[in-house]
Amino acid sequence: MNANPWSPRFSGKRLLKNELNLSESVFQGLLTKGYLIEIPSIKETLFYLECQRCHTRKPSHFGKIPTKTIQSFSYQNRPATNSITYCRNCIQMGRVSTNEPLYEWNGPIANLPKVKQPSIWRGELTALQSKAADAMVEAIRNQSKILIHAVCGAGKTEMLYRGLWIAFRNGFRVCIATPRADVVRELAPRLRRDFPSIEMAALYGGTQETDINAHLVVATTHQLLRYSKSFDVMIVDEVDAFPYHHDKSLPKAVARSVKESHALIYLTATPRLDLKIASRLKQLQTISIPLRYHGHPLPLPKLSQVFKLHQHLQQGTLPKKITHWIDQRKAAQRRFLLFVPTIETAQSLSKKLDIPYVHSESSNREELIHHFRNQQYEALITTTILERGVTFPSIDVAVIGADHDVFDEAALVQIAGRAGRSADDPDGDVTFFYNVKTKAIVKARQYTELKNLEGKKFKKEFN
Amino acid sequence: MHCKICLQSIEKDTTWSTLFDFRERTLCSSCDEQLEKNQGPTCKKCMKRTEEKLCSDCMFWEQHFQEDPLDRNVSIYTYNEFMKETMARFKYRGDYEIVHAWKDPFQRAFNKYFPKESQLLPIPLAESRFSERGFNQAEALARLLEQPLFAGMIRTGQEKQSKKSKWERLTADNPFKLTETSPETIVIIDDIFTTGSTVRFAAQVLKDAGAKSVSSLTLIRS
Repeated sequence: MNANPWSPRFSGKRLLKNELNLSESVFQGLLTKGYLIEIPSIKETLFYLECQRCHTRKPSHFGKIPTKTIQSFSYQNRPATNSITYCRNCIQMGRVSTNEPLYEWNGPIANLPKVKQPSIWRGELTALQSKAADAMVEAIRNQSKILIHAVCGAGKTEMLYRGLWIAFRNGFRVCIATPRADVVRELAPRLRRDFPSIEMAALYGGTQETDINAHLVVATTHQLLRYSKSFDVMIVDEVDAFPYHHDKSLPKAVARSVKESHALIYLTATPRLDLKIASRLKQLQTISIPLRYHGHPLPLPKLSQVFKLHQHLQQGTLPKKITHWIDQRKAAQRRFLLFVPTIETAQSLSKKLDIPYVHSESSNREELIHHFRNQQYEALITTTILERGVTFPSIDVAVIGADHDVFDEAALVQIAGRAGRSADDPDGDVTFFYNVKTKAIVKARQYTELKNLEGKKFKKEFN
Repeated sequence: MHCKICLQSIEKDTTWSTLFDFRERTLCSSCDEQLEKNQGPTCKKCMKRTEEKLCSDCMFWEQHFQEDPLDRNVSIYTYNEFMKETMARFKYRGDYEIVHAWKDPFQRAFNKYFPKESQLLPIPLAESRFSERGFNQAEALARLLEQPLFAGMIRTGQEKQSKKSKWERLTADNPFKLTETSPETIVIIDDIFTTGSTVRFAAQVLKDAGAKSVSSLTLIRS
């Protein structure tokens, strides 16, 4: 079926020579046959340089290595120029430079087998989920673009299943990409369980897994920098999350990693302006899911103004309103998450309240999250890293210092979306403590009101 | 201006003292804070942080070789976690530009401790390693100083020092050979001084060939 033994390993990828991991003779053989083609890593134009892996154009991202040396040897493929230019932006994935090109597979294409019975999942979808799932199937059949705008807790993963089923039956190669490694770690085992006969690879910084022409690749968007013209179906989960929405190279990586005709599905609860505009202008078909899978409305954030909140936090004291909120939770035996803007605040609060804290650089991050989920901890202090992609069944949430810059509208909506996730306990308390009411706070509350209204309308229509 | 380590842009406050300072800043304050200067009580010879006057490593060498070929070592930073990460990117990923972050401290240390007429000897790299990396990190450091470089030494061994135990390092064969006559005053340049065996091997070769003063300037004392 596969005409060439190397083709499943390399087709659809854009790799460095050492990533190919071939012996020199095989490598040269494939090159002369034209099965591997060399792509210059750094594109030079009159006005800018562009890295052909991460597509950065910032002058500060390029560095120079002088080739002159006092050491007297003539090493292999020594460049003729005085210096080589390399990309510093993506150097963590191995250096690309004017002397270290990238390679793409140009040989026979490896086809994927069609899978007759890809899934064993027997769950049922709600009417709204079903609507989104059907739209997705349509998009995959027509190879078109679609935005699924579903509130937090709408059951996005299950909505994907019908589309995935169709894709695997047609022998399509599918990628689920997300900016967050946490999401990959949470999603991959679920998909493995529900699609046991599907070849799958979960890729994020530090995994051992490799993708040898898998049916399904679940990856962080950074990993897509190693791909080119590879996928028939691309699903981008949490499109608006950091770093995807502010790192220009990642959308370019997504665009490069899909085949010429492809289906592109965006999933998010909080689309950014660009997607909103495209959706309004009817450039992008949009399906809105305003209701959670359990049919209950989103918890409406309570706003609570605290004077001199930031001075309090700096001095390491807590205002009465907040201690009162915490005491109430403790009295009612409710578990809760406290979101704070900075790591320093997390540290000082953690000491004061004797509650563990987690942030992006905690070495035992996964362990802490795991303990909180297992109910070993009653509470957890966190920075924005837990704002999305993680589900704790029944908790309350408070944001301390919600007027800080890191809490934009999307972040606040996502944080509010952590509460009331389970059907048994659909109401959770969400409170924003702030000193100055910001636009983001107002918008986040408006968003919830709007979605709840839409949801109500839908329920009425449906009944 | 951008920090050479974290690539973030550096905002410089305009004050009277910075207004006429046209030197390019290559390190942001947050990265600078995370680099730890090698200070406090140190061995007078190799700058290992210890309460003793002469550390056990230096004592061992004096016993082992009767006379220590190295006159002294100067190191600027300690090998903390941040430095480990930075060196991994510099050496193993091959991010050459990072070297410019250390230009200022490296020049200052040289001017403070070493005579102007000294020649610099960057520890040579084996050919295979050089072709992998595309540069010699010791030479990159040496080029930060505007001093004549001495090119008359070659390295014959290929093994990685960092993979060996202390004892293996100390008893290994000397991998260096001279191809030219040695200058009188010489400063060996290297990135990391761990047990000092690499630097001392080079120093031994130089002293045997008649060098009068051999000392070393290394970026890190681990």
